[in-house]
Formats: sequence, structure tokens, C-alpha cells
Amino acid sequence: MKKCKCRMAKVFFKILKIFLIANVALFVVFFFDLDGKLMFNVVEPFLKKHYDNMERKDVLQEPYDLDKFPKYKY
Amino acid sequence: MKDLKHLIYFENLLQEANNDLVKQAKADGKRAIGYTCYFMPEVLLDLPGCFSVRLRAPRCTSPDLATYYLSGRVCHYARSLMERALEGGYNFLDAQMGTETCTATCRFQEHLQQKHLDSVEDMRIIDNDDFFCEFSDIPFKNTENSYQHFETQLRAHVLEPLHEHFGIDISDETLLKAIEDHNEVCRLINEIGDYRKLDNPTITGYEFHVIQLVSLACPKYLILPYLRETAEEMKTREPDLKKNYRCKVVLAGSENDDPDFTKLIEGCGALVVCDRFCYGAVESRVPIELQEGKSPLRCIAEHYLKTSNCPRFMPQDEMRARKKRLADLAKEYKADGIIIASNKFCEYWSYERVIDTFILKRDYGLPVCSIEKEYINSASGQLRTRFQAFVESVEIKHIQEGK
Amino acid sequence: MAISFDVSKIQKKLAEKKEGVQKTVAELKANGFKKNMHDFWYGKPHTAEPGGRRLGELYEDKTGLLTHREWRGFKDTMYYMYMIWGYNYLHMVTDILKFSNNPIDFLKGTWRYRWMGQTYLPVIHWFERGLQGMRGEALYASAWHYRAMVSASIHQICTFFNADTRLHGGKENDAYKHTIFTNETTCGTLFYPWKDAGYQYVSMEMIPYFVTCHVNSHTVLNYIDAVQSLGLPGDPCPMCQAESGLFVLDDVPDSSPFIITCNEACDASVSTHTLQDWFADKPLFALPIPMQFDDPLVKKHCMNEIEEMWKFVEEQTGTPFNWESMKKYLERQNKLQRDEWEKWEVAAKTNFYPINGVAQALFRIYSTQYGIQTDCWEDASEKVKKIMYKCVEKKINPFPQTRHRVIAWSCAPLYYSNWCTWAYNCWGLNCIINMDSLMFDMEIRTDSYENMLEDMATYHMWAPMRRMAVGGMHHIFELWDYMQRFNCDMVAMYDQLQCKGMQGVHGLFEDEFRKRNVKAFWIPHALPDSRTVSRAEIRRQINDYMTTVMHEEPLDPSLLDFDDSMTW
Repeated sequence: MKKCKCRMAKVFFKILKIFLIANVALFVVFFFDLDGKLMFNVVEPFLKKHYDNMERKDVLQEPYDLDKFPKYKY
Repeated sequence: MKDLKHLIYFENLLQEANNDLVKQAKADGKRAIGYTCYFMPEVLLDLPGCFSVRLRAPRCTSPDLATYYLSGRVCHYARSLMERALEGGYNFLDAQMGTETCTATCRFQEHLQQKHLDSVEDMRIIDNDDFFCEFSDIPFKNTENSYQHFETQLRAHVLEPLHEHFGIDISDETLLKAIEDHNEVCRLINEIGDYRKLDNPTITGYEFHVIQLVSLACPKYLILPYLRETAEEMKTREPDLKKNYRCKVVLAGSENDDPDFTKLIEGCGALVVCDRFCYGAVESRVPIELQEGKSPLRCIAEHYLKTSNCPRFMPQDEMRARKKRLADLAKEYKADGIIIASNKFCEYWSYERVIDTFILKRDYGLPVCSIEKEYINSASGQLRTRFQAFVESVEIKHIQEGK
Repeated sequence: MAISFDVSKIQKKLAEKKEGVQKTVAELKANGFKKNMHDFWYGKPHTAEPGGRRLGELYEDKTGLLTHREWRGFKDTMYYMYMIWGYNYLHMVTDILKFSNNPIDFLKGTWRYRWMGQTYLPVIHWFERGLQGMRGEALYASAWHYRAMVSASIHQICTFFNADTRLHGGKENDAYKHTIFTNETTCGTLFYPWKDAGYQYVSMEMIPYFVTCHVNSHTVLNYIDAVQSLGLPGDPCPMCQAESGLFVLDDVPDSSPFIITCNEACDASVSTHTLQDWFADKPLFALPIPMQFDDPLVKKHCMNEIEEMWKFVEEQTGTPFNWESMKKYLERQNKLQRDEWEKWEVAAKTNFYPINGVAQALFRIYSTQYGIQTDCWEDASEKVKKIMYKCVEKKINPFPQTRHRVIAWSCAPLYYSNWCTWAYNCWGLNCIINMDSLMFDMEIRTDSYENMLEDMATYHMWAPMRRMAVGGMHHIFELWDYMQRFNCDMVAMYDQLQCKGMQGVHGLFEDEFRKRNVKAFWIPHALPDSRTVSRAEIRRQINDYMTTVMHEEPLDPSLLDFDDSMTW
């Protein structure tokens, strides 16, 4: 029983420790705006490059047919 | 070609909004009704007892006061009208029939609208105790709902106010007579304009532009004799033996009441054979057809919505069809290319010009010169260079095609 | 990808950091224990006196990123971290799982669309900019408005991606057949009749253009440049340019078989749809908003137009108009409107209104435009009302440093919608209400189809910008009434340089301000385009007015001048 209690306490403290470390880590990310810095300095430039190099349809080649659609007069 | 007998007289009439014929009509006791947009049917403003004046602000190059009110980021045309109004140049007007068809001219006209707001002090820009400004709501579509609405609007905001304020007869019989007179002007202008369709036209674009403008800016009953005489004169007018142009063009685009702009184009070797712009004749001089079982007012309402090629029209089929209509005009007038000119700050035509530039070239094989201009342009060296380059490109195309 | 290090730059940064730490340590020592503990627990006071908070010192040069987030006191910092920062990050994920048919589509969409990838990720920084300096109830309540906006935006994004043929190998799936595309300013309310039949309506530009401008103003510049590359001049309304540019860059999802557009708000909007028609090449119905909407004769015409549009939708979807569905959602919308009136009443008559200027304005625009598509507006509204009741009951003034009650008029700079947060922090200018919030200021009757249709016409005509910016002059000058109603003593007059409607009344406003002796400052801007008038220039104009005309001293001098030229 005592052993069991001791084990539970250990697990509890372990969870508490993980919880505390996670919170401290989260706080560091939050407080020092690390999420913003990551987005601004790494993610956005990477994505921009991707979008800039993306192949896009030449919309000027789209047809402009006169009678493709009805007149929608009711 | 021999000079047209009345050309100089016409040119003089265009120097002022309050020109000699306007003064004469006022002296005859008629009411001057101003308007700016095609969607305000001039035929209704030409009923017995009043006459229409499509507003212009000739020779207005620096609209300083108007720039204070409308800012420098609004089209030069609206600002010029505002400037002229602030200078007292439109004090002869007895009424302004407003349309909110483009934002800039709407704002100009709202400044004229007197005593209608508690929230803004009346500026009393038009110094005329009788003056009033009335707005009509102009539909964006040409459907049955729009025809009905337009007819209602014209009755409530044009005919009835004219009757209430000035005792104008607005009966169907009077409207029928007005349509007849209006069609007479249309017939004469078209007769004169059709000479531009000849292989070697016997009228220049500039001359026609002047004639069309006087028909808009002067009382019809006073300008008619001159138009009749000019039409007669045209019958025997001989073209120059040697062609004095290098290509023919359709001029399309936004507001343009500056014949010197047409002169500038023609000075670069491109004869303007068709004028599909605001103040041009393509739409405004189509005769109004009467339809059985429909009132004259209803016919007028339908006519103006059916004939317009304005880029403010929104239905999908209409948006697409007006590109084709422009291409058809080039064919009808045997034009070699199209010049699309939008006024700076004109939002409708800025977009329309972009689309026309691509579509007319791609789908109809027409060379297109796409330019942005100011209200008064005659001194523009840049535009001259653009037009010259365009004319050369058309000539090169002809050479390549072996024409 | 080659990564290069500039050693001197890093050294310089480290030196700056060291200097910063030394300064902070020296400050803490100088403050003494009591003051330090007070600041720890409550945050530094909002005052120009020594020891007051200096938010401008938190910014990194140019980027607008924060060297560290603000310490708002223990309770508010923890609230911010867990209930705003963490909560919203978490819900950005759960919302996707909730609204998306397949979360993989969401990732595919992020990879495919620039407006998505560039915008979605910095969302939390958008909160940061809007909520900076807020404390207590102002922080809690304003954040709920933001939360609702994010949730509704995710709902719209998922509507796009669930149906987008580009993400489904060109296949027109069931979601595609149940999506109605509208142009940005066609109010969502019009499509309630099809909601219960499983139809979603989504504006083609609300997320790709409008929301991106608020969250990450870099994105939209690509679209403006794209349409100008076709030869469009730079002077038409930049909003319309950006909307067209989306199509030029082929960056609009293909999520609906047809489109409904309208002419709201201006000439450029009408013209935009000519380009959209060409590039989208789908059945398109134009639903115009009549211009002279004060004229009673116009209403009948507008009602007919709306009914024609409904016929078009019936024809395209094969699903009939459902009055019960219409009624159900309208009643929910009316309730939301009544909630808003209640909030306005508190804002107008007391100092207990807990929403800041930007949260008030954006919530209202987003919610009225999108309508009742999700529960998020109602949820947020309930939460905010609770906070507001508490403020009223306990007489809590959430903006205690208010020096002037400001009404913001005309259309706001999208890239600097949070200017009012800055203005409160720097000058104590509390933006109580703004023009955009006052649009659609009505309930729609649901007692009969006829009454509903009549009200719907009015509602449609009172669209954003149409009624008070570009529309008839009379409504623009309703400013004086609203100033009185909301008990405001100052006007922030937006000067959208490319809005022909507002430019056309510029001089009259100048005249009237003088005649009425109204305190007003102008905020020049070009709606989404931050290159025309920078944020720094906007701040400079306000600073000039406050010092030279009002002869006032800033509450936070560190905010007077800082460089955030590269910020989102």
C-alpha cells in the first residue's frame, strides 16, 4: 500500500514536473513572442518563396464567349 | 476639303456653356436644364418651355477651388464642372437633372443640390432663385424591372418637377412631339456622321465631334437650322484628292467633350471615324422608336437602357456583348484600329479599357491603343507620341498583311 | 537552401540585448521592492509619469515583432497567455477539425493559396496588435470579439476548401454543388432561404482579401500589383484592385458553380466584376444596389431585383426558396442586432463599455457581412454582454485613461485597423463607435414575406460603405447625429485617398468642421495598400494634431515614433 502510494506520488510529481516544464516553455514562447518571430523570420519567407515560384494559370487565355450563358432575365 | 460654312460658328458656341444660343433661348423665356450623363434623357429636357444643356467646362485647366471641395483625386471633368459652377458659369441654369451614374459627377451635382440637408449648409453655388437639382435613380440593367423603374423615376424626378416648378406640359402628346424633334436632330447628325463610313470620308472626326457637341450643348430648336444647312452642305462636299490620313480609328472611352483631343489624334495621322464615348453620337443619336401599346415615356425609358454601352451596366450578357458591339462598329466604319481612352480617375473605364485592350485584340484581331487622358489634353506631347506610334504599328500591320 | 550568417549583425543584436537587460536590471533596482511587486501584480501604470508603461520599447525595429510581450500584471498576463494566446491557437486547430470535411484539404489549401498560408499563421499577432495595452475587462471582452472573427473566418475557409475543385482533382463534389459564391459586399443574409437545405454561401474575397489585410497586410500587395500589371491604373479603389488581382493571380478557389455579384460600394466594384466574370467564366447574376436609396420609389425596384436573384439561385441550385429557413436565421440575426443595440446603449451613455475600437468595428463588419452561418457571433455576444453587465454593475471603467471619446467616420485603413488601440495607449483617444458599425442598423421583420422583403431591400441598400461613404450625401453627414448619440467629442475622419465618394465631400467636411467647431483629425490611407500612407505617417498626423491643435501630452511617449514599416 505504502509502495503504491509512493508510486502514485512519483507519477503525480512527474506529471506536475512535465506540466510545469511545459508551462514554463509555453510561457517563454509566449512572452518572448517566439511564435511571431518564427512566423516572421522563417515560415513566411519560406511560404512566400513557394508562392512566388508557383506555376499559375495565364488567366488572359480564358475564353470570353458571348453566348455561353443565358441572359438571366426574369 | 472645303471648310464647313458653320464650323467656326460652332467652335465659338463651344467656348462657353452659356453660349449665344443658350442666351437667346433664355431671352425667349425658356428654362435651361443642365445634365451630365447620357442616362438623363435629353429628349425630356427639350420639352416646350425648356431646353437641355449637357454641361461642359471648356478651357478649364486648373480647377483650384473645386480641388478643395472634391480633392485632387477625383476626375478632372467633375472638378472642372465644379470649378465652372463655383465661378458662376452655370448661373443660367434653372435646374440640374442629376444622375448618380458615376461617383464623381454625382458628388459635383450633390454640391448643387440646395436646401435639402440640415446637416450641411447650403452653398448656393448656382445663384438663381428658381434653381433646383433633382436626382433620378438609374438602373444598372436592361430588364423589365429596370424599364419599369426607370420610367417611374423619370416621371417622378424629371417630368413632374419640371411641371411643378416651371409649368411644363408633360402630356403624352407633348412627349410624342418632343420625340419627333429629337429624332430629327438624330437623323441629321447621323446623316452627317455617315460620311465617315465612306472609303475616303468627306468629314473629319474633329468636325463631326464639334457638330455633335453643339447638338448637346445648345437648344435644339436653335441649332437645328444650322444642322440642316450643314447636312445639305455635306451632300456636295468633295474629299481631298490625296488622302490626308494614314489610318482610320474608332475612338471609344469615357467622358470626352474636347474636340481638340480628336484633333490631336487626327494630327497624328489617325482619322477618327466613330465616336463611342460619353458625349459621342453612337448611342445618343439613335432615334427613339415608338412601340405600339407603350406610352412615350416608357419608350424613352427603354430606349436609353437598351442603347447604352456604358460600362456601368452589370448583366453578364451585357458586359460581354459590348465588346462585340465595339468590334462591330470598327467593321461598320471600316476602321483599322481602336483607341480606348479613359479619363484619369474614371473607375468604370479604367477597367473596361483593360479588358477591351485584351479582348478586342485577341478575339477580334483589332489593333488597340489604350491610353489614359485628362479632361483637357490638347498640349500633351506624350499622347502625341503614343498616337504616332500606334499609327505606325497599324501601317506596319497593313504592310505585313500586304494591304 | 543556403543560410548565411552576418556575424557583425548578430554581435550588434547581442550587444543590444545585453544593454536592454542591464537597463531593466537597473530600473528594477531603482524602483525598489514595493514598486516592483506592484508592477508584477498589476502591471505598470498607464501614465506618462516616470515608472509608467512604455509599450513602444517592446517593439523590435521595423518588424513590429516584440522583444517580449507586455507584462500586464500577473492576472491579465496569465489570462492573456492561457485564455487568448493558448486558447485561440488551440481553437484554430479544433475549428478546422470541426468545420472541415477533411483536414488534409486544409493543408492542401494552405499550400495552394498565398492568402491562406501567409495570413493564417500570424493570426495571433493580429490579436496582439489589437489588444495591446488592454487590461481587465477591456482585454477579456475585446478578445471574445476576435475569437468570433477567427472562428467565422475558419468556417469560411473550410467552406472554400471543402468544395474547391482544385483541391479535389478537378472533381465537383457535393460541397461544390452546395456552395454559393458571392462577391464580397453582397450580404450573406440574402441566402438564408437555402441554409437549411445544406447550402453554404461564401464571399469570394472576404477571406482572401479583406481578412488578409487585417492579419497580414503584405499579402494583398501581390494582388494589387498583379492587376496593375495588366495595365490598370493605380488610382481606382485599391480594394477593388486587390479583389480583381486575386483573379489575375488565379488565387480564388473554384468552389461554386455560379456567382452573385453586386455594385457595392462604388464604380470600381461594378467594374471589378467585369474582370471577375471573364476570369471566373461562370454563370453570374448581378444584383445591383440602387443608388438613390432614400427615394421610396426605389425600394420596389430593389425588392424586385432581390426576388430575381432568388429565382436565379433556385434555377442554379434546383432548390426552392424556403421561407421557414429564412425566418429562422433572420430571427437569430435580429437577436444579434438587439444585442448590439444594447451594447451601443452602454457605449453611448456610460464609460463602462468594455470593447475597444478595433474589436468593435471588425466584429460588426465581419458578423453583418457573413451573417448567421455559425454560432460564433451569438456565443461571443453573450460572453461580452456578461462582461459588460459586470462593468455596469460594479462601475468598472475599462478605459480609465480616456481623454476624448472619438467617433471614427468613413472607411478605415485595413492595414492599420488597430490604430485606435495605439491612439488610446498613446493619447487616451477612445474610439467609441465607427461608421462601419452603423451599417445594417436595423431588424428585419419576419411576420410576413412581404414585410421581410421590404426590410431586406432596405438592409441590402444599407450595405457597408454604400450608405455612408459612397452613397447619398445626406447619410454621410449623419455624423453629427451619431456624435451626439454616442456622446463623442472628437472625430477621427478617415481619408481614403482613392475613394471617389469620400474624396468628393472632403471640402464640405472641412467647412462643416470649422463652422461647427468640431475637433477632428484626418487619417489618410489607401484601404489595403500600406505603401501609399504608412502606419508611421498615420501616427505622425495624429501626433501633430494632438500636440499642435489640442496641446496635449502623450500618455506613453514611447509610442510617438517607432518604425514598424515591415510589420504584418
